[in-house]
Amino acid sequence: MQQAQSAFEARPVVASLQGCSKRYPGVVALADADFEMRAGEVRAMLGKNGAGKSTLIRLLTGAETPDTGTVTIGGEELAGSDSTRAAEAFAKGVRVVYQELSLVTELSIAENLFLGRWPRRAGVIRHGQMEQEARAALDSLGVDLAPGRIVSSLSPAERQLVEIARVMIGSPRLVILDEPTSSLAEAEARKVLAAVMRIAAAGISVIYVSHRMNEIRQIADTVTIMRDGRIIETVPVEGAQTGDIVKLMLGAEMDANEHIQPGLRGAPVLELREVSLAPKLDRISFTLHAGEVLGIAGLLGSGRTELLQLIMGLRNRSAGEVLVGGRRVDGASYRGMVRRGFGLTPESRKEEGIIPMLGVDENTVITDFSAVSRNRILSATRIAEATRRVIERLQIKTARTDTPIGTLSGGNQQKVVIGRWVHAGSRVLLLDEPTRGVDVEAKAQIYRIIRELAAEGCAVIFVSSEIEELPLVCDRVLVLRDRRIAEEIAAPGIDQDRLLAACIAAA
Amino acid sequence: MSVTNAENRRFGLAGYMNELSLLSAIVILYLVFGLTANGFLSFPNQINILRDAATIGIAAWAATLIIICGEIDVSTGPMVAFISVILAYLLQWGTPTVLAFALAIVLGGLLGALAGALRAWFDVPSFVATLGLWSALRGLALFMTDALPVSIGRNDIVDLLDRPFLGLPPAVILMLALFVLFLFISRKTAFGRSVYAVGGNPHAALLAGINVARIRILVFAIGGAMAALSGILLLSRLGSGNATAASGLEFDVIAAVVVGGTALSGGRGSMVGTLLGVLVITLIGNGLILLGINPFIQQVVRGVIIVVAVLANIQAIKRSRAQRS
Repeated sequence: MQQAQSAFEARPVVASLQGCSKRYPGVVALADADFEMRAGEVRAMLGKNGAGKSTLIRLLTGAETPDTGTVTIGGEELAGSDSTRAAEAFAKGVRVVYQELSLVTELSIAENLFLGRWPRRAGVIRHGQMEQEARAALDSLGVDLAPGRIVSSLSPAERQLVEIARVMIGSPRLVILDEPTSSLAEAEARKVLAAVMRIAAAGISVIYVSHRMNEIRQIADTVTIMRDGRIIETVPVEGAQTGDIVKLMLGAEMDANEHIQPGLRGAPVLELREVSLAPKLDRISFTLHAGEVLGIAGLLGSGRTELLQLIMGLRNRSAGEVLVGGRRVDGASYRGMVRRGFGLTPESRKEEGIIPMLGVDENTVITDFSAVSRNRILSATRIAEATRRVIERLQIKTARTDTPIGTLSGGNQQKVVIGRWVHAGSRVLLLDEPTRGVDVEAKAQIYRIIRELAAEGCAVIFVSSEIEELPLVCDRVLVLRDRRIAEEIAAPGIDQDRLLAACIAAA
Repeated sequence: MSVTNAENRRFGLAGYMNELSLLSAIVILYLVFGLTANGFLSFPNQINILRDAATIGIAAWAATLIIICGEIDVSTGPMVAFISVILAYLLQWGTPTVLAFALAIVLGGLLGALAGALRAWFDVPSFVATLGLWSALRGLALFMTDALPVSIGRNDIVDLLDRPFLGLPPAVILMLALFVLFLFISRKTAFGRSVYAVGGNPHAALLAGINVARIRILVFAIGGAMAALSGILLLSRLGSGNATAASGLEFDVIAAVVVGGTALSGGRGSMVGTLLGVLVITLIGNGLILLGINPFIQQVVRGVIIVVAVLANIQAIKRSRAQRS
């Protein structure tokens, strides 16, 4: 730790937190944090979901005010109220690049860089000046793109670079990058990393949130590890062992008493042979058995969702074969897979899962109207019966069967989305992040439901970015990294250390 | 009964808010016109109102499905006129009347399905696809007829369609029968509920296994078929095919659906609302004519009333929701 600081000790402190705490109802998001960034330093931030990384960043950007403690940027304390802090932090040189791109795709690069702050005279935009300054910002990152190009013609990596160039306008002191490479293939990610190193070389400090250890080793000087709202330690990247970092991230975690004991596996229901999906997945092979819960782990952007979509026929594989019940399926449509007894619950429940204006009943029976019809006419009694069965089975909390699903809690919405495949009698369930945005109690219920479905002979693929839940649900876990299955771990040997280490780096 | 009651129970009295405010609008219109317009309340005028309502209504039932599905169809007027022209020629050539009717409805359905296919398979916005039809069909009908009526001579079956039955014009009976049918479809069939699902969240509907493309094509095909039916009724009323008829009908239809409380953004709406909306639009048209108001000013008044009606409706629904939560 002392060594870590020594390289930058002589440099001025650019930003710091002193004894900052932040609590939300029912949870301490950040506890008594001391944090310091020096000029030109690249700091990686590591921590599981909910470890407090986002809260720390939001304090630095002024998006949140700490309950106690102070935030100092460029030697001056942020003093503004909730509404003015963000502008204050921005004026003092704090810039953030978020995961979601925020570019207007039909405008040029230059127009995007100055979005809302276009240099103008008498209302007319001064294109010459704007393009010149845009050119300078792009050059400073070593990016060779014409400022006049329209953003929609750029590749994902180039867009990310434009996003980063935007924060170089004005005089930034601290640039925060939130998983900037998560959606990029490796070759493309390299361009982004090169740009980050240029930013640091210009004496600007960089906070780099990512879990890709190989990237962190390439660009970061130090790494701060957070857990449960606390800063656990800041260590130099050089010489840090991945295994040690994993231990720091996980802490003394719960023991293995709740771990799954693998049961008997049924017949194979789904087999992938050397399946590729350029550029995300490369020669993926595995077999899924009836009665089994197969976990898929991997970092954001590792191709987990794409794998499920590929199985369901929503994406066309570039190579390999998929077998269902021992038979090859070629070019099966999504509906074809549904007919074969497959069901998918999407990652984004709001956008792709629920139909908010319709009731729990209609959101449930939507997968199979014929089961609730008499002579092709929908039967109210049958709809109510079928819905009640699913409600009881999945312990869905709703006042009535016809309550609009949009008014339910996230956990109960998710249970309905799973329940619609139970209604359809699906035998293979592909669950993409089924516990995202769901409260603790509902999570435990969802785990139990998944185990029960497996015990009844369903095959389940369970995709999760929360390392700690995989050992509680899965018979087997496949870890996706660098487009391949990096590791396969079977119960009862599924432990978080091993999973996390496999996700973030080569052993 | 079930899903219907379900919807109403779901919101309690607030579930009727839309229908209640439309009913009160109708009462107000009756009061105002009844007191000011001579002969407004007479029996023949009431029949006139219903007959006018049929012209808008039959197309509006289908348009309700289309708009709930999150789409729009602006081709109604030209479709009605075009079909009436085609039908007139078919009859002139001696095609058996019933066969000619069937062909007309099939042709309407196919033209509608064409717009639907452009939307469903090629992602052409339905406004653009039906705008194309709007222009092409009107042009084609005018070209074929030189903008002159195409007379069909004497035809017993066609005449029968314009002769009152039990005191009511057949068009009105047909409109009411179709209303019941569409009410049933929208509430009690998998297709009808799928329309709501697709309009409410097309991604979720797709992932739940609904054939979204098929639903989209079908609603437009139904729209075309209903426009064709209106074309048949137009022919029977005028005794000729007429390329310039039904001008602006699509806007009355859309106005009726929207005034009826169906959301242009899709996923929400009801046939009962549309029925009341059709009545509101028809009453306004009829009353203003009886008052002898300048026809140009009539259009202005109608436009204002439509916007005010929708505005008031939205406010009423917002208020009742706010009270609930």
